[in-house]
Amino acid sequence: MKDKMNKVTAVIMLGFIFVFSGFMLFGEKKKASESENRKLAELPEISISSLNDGSFSQKLGEYVTDHFPARERLTALDARIEAQLSESIVNGVYVGNDMLLDIGTSEKGDMEKSAEEINKCSAAYKGAAYFVCVPTSAGVYGDTLPPYIEKNSESRQIASLYSTLGTDIRKIDAYNILKMLNDSYIFYRSDSKWTSYGAYCVYRTVIQKLGFSPTAYDKYTIDHVEDDFRGNLYHRSRYSGVKADIMDIYRCADGAGVLSCTGRDERGNVFSRSLYDRSKLDSSYKYDMYLGEPLPLVKIRTKVNNDRKLLVVTDRFGACFIPFLTQHYSEIAVVMPSEMSGSVRKMIEPDKYEQTLFLFGIDSMTDSSIFERLN
Amino acid sequence: MIYSSLLFIYGFLPVSLLLYYITPRRHRDKTLLGLSAVFCGLFSLWYLGLMTAYTIVNFTACRIIGRNRGRALSAVPFAAAMIFDLASILIFRTKYFTGTLSSIGVPDKFFPLGISFLTLSALGTLIDVYKGKVREEKNILRFALYIMFFPKLIMGPVLRYGGFVRALENRRDGLNEMGIGFTIFVKGLAKKVIVADNLYMLYKAVNSVNTNDLSALSAWLGITAYMLSLYFVLSGFSDMGTGISYCFGLRLPQCFNYPMFSTKIRYFASRWHMQVIHWFRRYVTKPLSSFSRSRYYRRLIFIISWGTLGFWYTFRLTGAVWGLLIGAAMTAENKLSKVRLLGITGTIYTFIIIAFGTVFLAGEELSGSLKYLLAMLGGNRIFADSLSFYLLRSYSVILLIGMYASTDLFRNMLMRSGRTRLRRVFSLVSPAIVLTFTVLCTILLSYSGSSGMILLKL
Repeated sequence: MKDKMNKVTAVIMLGFIFVFSGFMLFGEKKKASESENRKLAELPEISISSLNDGSFSQKLGEYVTDHFPARERLTALDARIEAQLSESIVNGVYVGNDMLLDIGTSEKGDMEKSAEEINKCSAAYKGAAYFVCVPTSAGVYGDTLPPYIEKNSESRQIASLYSTLGTDIRKIDAYNILKMLNDSYIFYRSDSKWTSYGAYCVYRTVIQKLGFSPTAYDKYTIDHVEDDFRGNLYHRSRYSGVKADIMDIYRCADGAGVLSCTGRDERGNVFSRSLYDRSKLDSSYKYDMYLGEPLPLVKIRTKVNNDRKLLVVTDRFGACFIPFLTQHYSEIAVVMPSEMSGSVRKMIEPDKYEQTLFLFGIDSMTDSSIFERLN
Repeated sequence: MIYSSLLFIYGFLPVSLLLYYITPRRHRDKTLLGLSAVFCGLFSLWYLGLMTAYTIVNFTACRIIGRNRGRALSAVPFAAAMIFDLASILIFRTKYFTGTLSSIGVPDKFFPLGISFLTLSALGTLIDVYKGKVREEKNILRFALYIMFFPKLIMGPVLRYGGFVRALENRRDGLNEMGIGFTIFVKGLAKKVIVADNLYMLYKAVNSVNTNDLSALSAWLGITAYMLSLYFVLSGFSDMGTGISYCFGLRLPQCFNYPMFSTKIRYFASRWHMQVIHWFRRYVTKPLSSFSRSRYYRRLIFIISWGTLGFWYTFRLTGAVWGLLIGAAMTAENKLSKVRLLGITGTIYTFIIIAFGTVFLAGEELSGSLKYLLAMLGGNRIFADSLSFYLLRSYSVILLIGMYASTDLFRNMLMRSGRTRLRRVFSLVSPAIVLTFTVLCTILLSYSGSSGMILLKL
């Protein structure tokens, strides 16, 4: 009896393993994963050096993992099971009651170096510089995180960052604005970035500092263009138990329209862009709807007739913030140093703009290599 | 490539089974050796090189000793090989040689996994051959297989040479053995992937809090998690190894016999990492205690050799404290053996002593471990805080699963049931259980592809 069952076990297991390895070997190989929004690993090449340091088997392991049969389903199940089995933490993402929060980046790097680079840049700049550091959702909703994770780390980090920035830079406190409004839908449930509404709330304060009065909320018509957005935290955790997010388009009916919106990369290629690019709603990362896929430089000309020019140096947090600014400036240049390899000054002459707004998420601040490109 | 990875389970394992079973019987040892070489080479060519050097040095030394048996000359190769073995464990397990290693081109993160087990095996064989207790091996292929047989490479049982050869010669490969093998392998995989990895998260959560602010309950939860996690990592890997060996028809012994929650420290010690403890008894305690007949001297040697075992685990002073503590507790226990304890009191007392010991095994520095111990005893004047309740809420299920799985309750239930229906039903559904756990572990491995947390770099 027992012997027989052992044989049954052996046959079943052999069958299972060989079927999966067979699918693994001969199954269709995809280049990229939509649900994880990333490129999948390629079959590594054998070389003496990769065998020497073991990187060959590591990459082979990644290849097998990435192209494992039914990976999408398995990883989604994995997230559900892991959230049940122990703490609700899946791949560095905390699964809260109704939103995902990033706790993987709790070891924040040194922001002082980034601050020094910004100081250097603003010292060489003739106009007025403004700085906004935007917290992530984990910073604003820190109270819901497990007790052993430091709660106010982002507010303290922002405070210390602001104190190291030079006095000639005007700093704007986005953290407390967002913290006060944390009952509203200011952050996506499955992404660490803010929603258009969150951006609007900060815009009201920022634009006053820049010398304009903000456009009232009821002047906008708001389209919910997407109700099935899943952001970077979903891509990382693969946890689908949190409600999908809504993406909004804000249009000011009687406001000034956009004349032109062109992007440029470092080789000089020109791309046509728009504030809201609905075709991106079909891509794997729908957030790209805001201003399209990131480019080093995007120039926007508007029908506003005041000859005011603004330079915005930003990261992806800026993408949904820019549309609000178009009501006030006749020209806005959006620079994303994270998308460049060379210096910002090769692409644009900052002194042509009388005002510069630095708007960065706190995660970008820890990567000082981004800010070295400013000088 | 560790056993608990998709690449191993769905890549290396099926390929090696296929190759093994299509080779004619008399060449199967060579196939195993070739597979082991590939396994080592996939870690790093340096690893393969080290294993080859290990084999050649120890094999040659054994041959020379064998030819000159009884002559004083045989001490020279014995000493030389011993120095080589000890040096290699020292070089890789301590941090003093990292500069030297990288200057000869060894990659930075290179660590020959399993070197500690390997050294024990090789040293034991060397001593046995030198003392004339076993005959030296004349076939280098077989000796090489003893050193780098891939199922016992990572944390597999430490076997004496005779034991390994017996297993190799009495090989019974076939479907029946493979069924047993897969069952044991999946058991080990589940221990590692389901229990150990999750409990380690609990320990890490507790460890991320400053020890001075730790509440007593959290500290106890943390150390219990570490203790169970360590048991499940070590026994999980050795189960996986044993299971794979079974698939090739080699019956290697179990390493653990449900040591957690024993009723006496002595029972814990006799069931924990059995081959390793046996090794230390045979090659450290016995020779040292033969110098004097004094009872106190022998007790001292007993405690010290436990300290050595602890040091072998971590290569830090703290590990030695773990060993000394357990050794001392056992000596005291033997002295007081007339005091009768009820089962449950015994379990609690054993658990507490081992938990205290584990604090040192887990700690990197003595002062940190002492602080943690103080927190466990309520020295921070906080009995429980929001963290403890959060951890209890999140981890109680996996803690209970882990505690139950680490005891022999289930096995005893099956054993006692004899030929009753329960046993029949269990053996009927066992293939389904094995398959379910395989699927579950595959799901849990699907995101990262491997579960490489090993707690102690052995």
